[in-house]
Parts: sequence; C-alpha cells; structure tokens
Amino acid sequence: MVNLDLLKQKWQSVEQELPKLSYGDIHQMLLKKSSSIVKWIFLISIGELLFWTVLAFFVPESSKTINESMGLKTVFVVVNIVHYTIFAVFIYLFYKNYQSITVTDTIKDLMGSILSTRKTVKNFVIYNVSASILLLIGVNLFYYTKKDQLYTLMAENYEGYGAIPKESFTSLFFIGQIIFGILLVGLILLFYRIIYGILLKRLQHNYTELEKMET
Amino acid sequence: MNKELEHSFVKELETNQNIVHKICRLYTNNSHAHNDLFQEITIQLWKAYPKFRGDSKFSTWMYRVALNTAITLYRKSKRRVATQDFEAVSFKISSIDYDDTVEEQLKLMYSAVKSLNDIDKALVFLYLEDKSYREISETLGISEVNSRVKMNRIKGKLRTVLNP
Repeated sequence: MVNLDLLKQKWQSVEQELPKLSYGDIHQMLLKKSSSIVKWIFLISIGELLFWTVLAFFVPESSKTINESMGLKTVFVVVNIVHYTIFAVFIYLFYKNYQSITVTDTIKDLMGSILSTRKTVKNFVIYNVSASILLLIGVNLFYYTKKDQLYTLMAENYEGYGAIPKESFTSLFFIGQIIFGILLVGLILLFYRIIYGILLKRLQHNYTELEKMET
Repeated sequence: MNKELEHSFVKELETNQNIVHKICRLYTNNSHAHNDLFQEITIQLWKAYPKFRGDSKFSTWMYRVALNTAITLYRKSKRRVATQDFEAVSFKISSIDYDDTVEEQLKLMYSAVKSLNDIDKALVFLYLEDKSYREISETLGISEVNSRVKMNRIKGKLRTVLNP
C-alpha cells in the first residue's frame, strides 16, 4: 500500500539527487535583479497613478475657453480641488499598502497584502473612470440646456464647426460625446482584463484555495 | 552592501541550499525554470536577510521566504516548456531493503504530490520535511486545526489516486 508516510520516511533518509551550487555560484546570484510580480505590480501601479494625474493637467486650451465662457469656471476649480485631494489620499494608501508587503509574512498574509495594494489602485481607477463619466454627463446636460450659446462658441473656437448647420450640430455634438465616453471606458476595461489576467490570476486562485481551508 | 553580511548570508544559503532545491523541483518542470526560481528565491532571501534577527533558525526562516517566492512572487518564465526533462526524483534505496516496486511506488507518489495545487503542495512539502502542524500553520497563515484537517484530506486523495 502506497501512502504519503512511506514517502516521508524515505524523504529524509534518502539522498535526493539535487544540484549542488558553490559559494561562488550563489554569490553571483546576489548581483542579479529580481523579476518578482511585486516589482511588476509596483511599476504598473506607479504608471497608472502618473497617467491619471498627468491626464488631469492636459485639458486642451480651447475646451477651457469654452467651459469658461459657458460659466463653468468656478465649478471646475472646485472639482479640481476635490479631485486632487482624493488623489493624495489614494497615493498615501497605495504607499502604505505597498510598504506592508513582506516576503517574511505568512503565505496568506503576503497574498493578502499584495491583493489589497492592487485593490487600492483598482479603486483609484474606478474613481477616475466614474468621476470622468459623471463629469462628462453633467457638463453635457448643462450644455444641452444652453445649446444655442454652445453652438456660437464652438463655431468661434473650432473652425470646422462653423460649417455644420445649426440643426444637425446638436445631435452631432452629443453623439460624439457619447461615442468618446464609451470608447474610453472600453479601453480601460480591456487594459484591466489583460493586467489582471497576466499578473493576478494565479495569486487570486491560490488565495481562494487558502480561504477555502478556513471555512 | 556590507561584506560581512554578504559572506554570512552566502555561507548559510550554501549550507541550506537543499531546502531551496527541493522547493524548486516541486514547483518547476525543467532545469531552466528550476534555476530561474532558485535565482529569484536567492534574491528575495538576500533582500530580507538584514531583517533576519536570528531568533529562529536560518532554515526555518528560509522555508517561509522560499515558499512565498515559489507560490506568489515568482513569475513563470514566458517560454514555459511543457515537457518534463526531469526524471522523477530518484530515490536511492539502500541495498538491504532494495525493492523495485517500492521505488516505483515512491516515484508515483512523488509525481502525484507534484500534480497537487500550489497550496496543497506547500502543505505536503512541509509535512515531508517533518515540520510540526504548528509550524505548518504558521507558515501558511491558517489555523493548526485546519492544516491538520486539510492534510488528512490530501492524504486520502493521494491514496485513492494511487491505489484505485
């Protein structure tokens, strides 16, 4: 009858054929760079934080002019203050979570802290996407109530728009905004599927295995 | 970095390298991946070494870091080779009780262990290394009772696989 205890008996007493590395071999290894998933997660997360922070600075001059002429200046200043405060909170949380990842933790705790670091970044992105969508909807609703004024302003600031007859402008402009919104969300979702697929599938799976043991 | 620290670390790892090799062999399928994982474990051990205070044995501390690296931190190299270029571990059984069938059975047992999922494998590995359930539960981060229950289930599962 074969069982695990037979293997255990032999496991200790029997020499397994294992490679033998010299002092020099091991010493060499210290000079190499790590390629652990924590490093990748860190780099990707920093990239995401930077991307969204930088993106907020890049509002085209012309759309600023339009927003200001439409009387939205104060609203945007307030929105920006709130936005950057929330950014600061997220970056702080990310840093704190990242610091708590230690390889000397238990297997479960290590996985837990990696997952919660990722979750912070995920929430950050969810916040950004929903804030953008809400802002897009809000601004467009506001525009809609003042579409005559908008048409005049657009025609002044963008050359192409003057050629569009006023009747079709309204539908063209708002359909354009909707398509832009959908594309943005689609791209972001695709990006996340890929990142999560590559980096976290195995981790998530193992974490669930451990959790199952505790129930 | 501190030369003295470096020296004591390499010495310790050289003495205890078998633990890491055994983990690499359980979690990879070819010598390329084996070396790759060994490399990553070494780096992780080295990074954590300054915080190793010596209140536990170096080897005990190593189990945790090495298993954490194998299970969670290590990214399988892209060119994952499907073929298994390792002969299943060979157990040289002393001539007195040499028995063909026993050796064959041990090999079967080993490959059955290898086919377990990452977490179960860690549990079995620590069991084979003769760690107490307390140590096992402290390494995995689950309760002692649950690791015992799980271990019994795995034993049962392996029995049915090998003795149909």
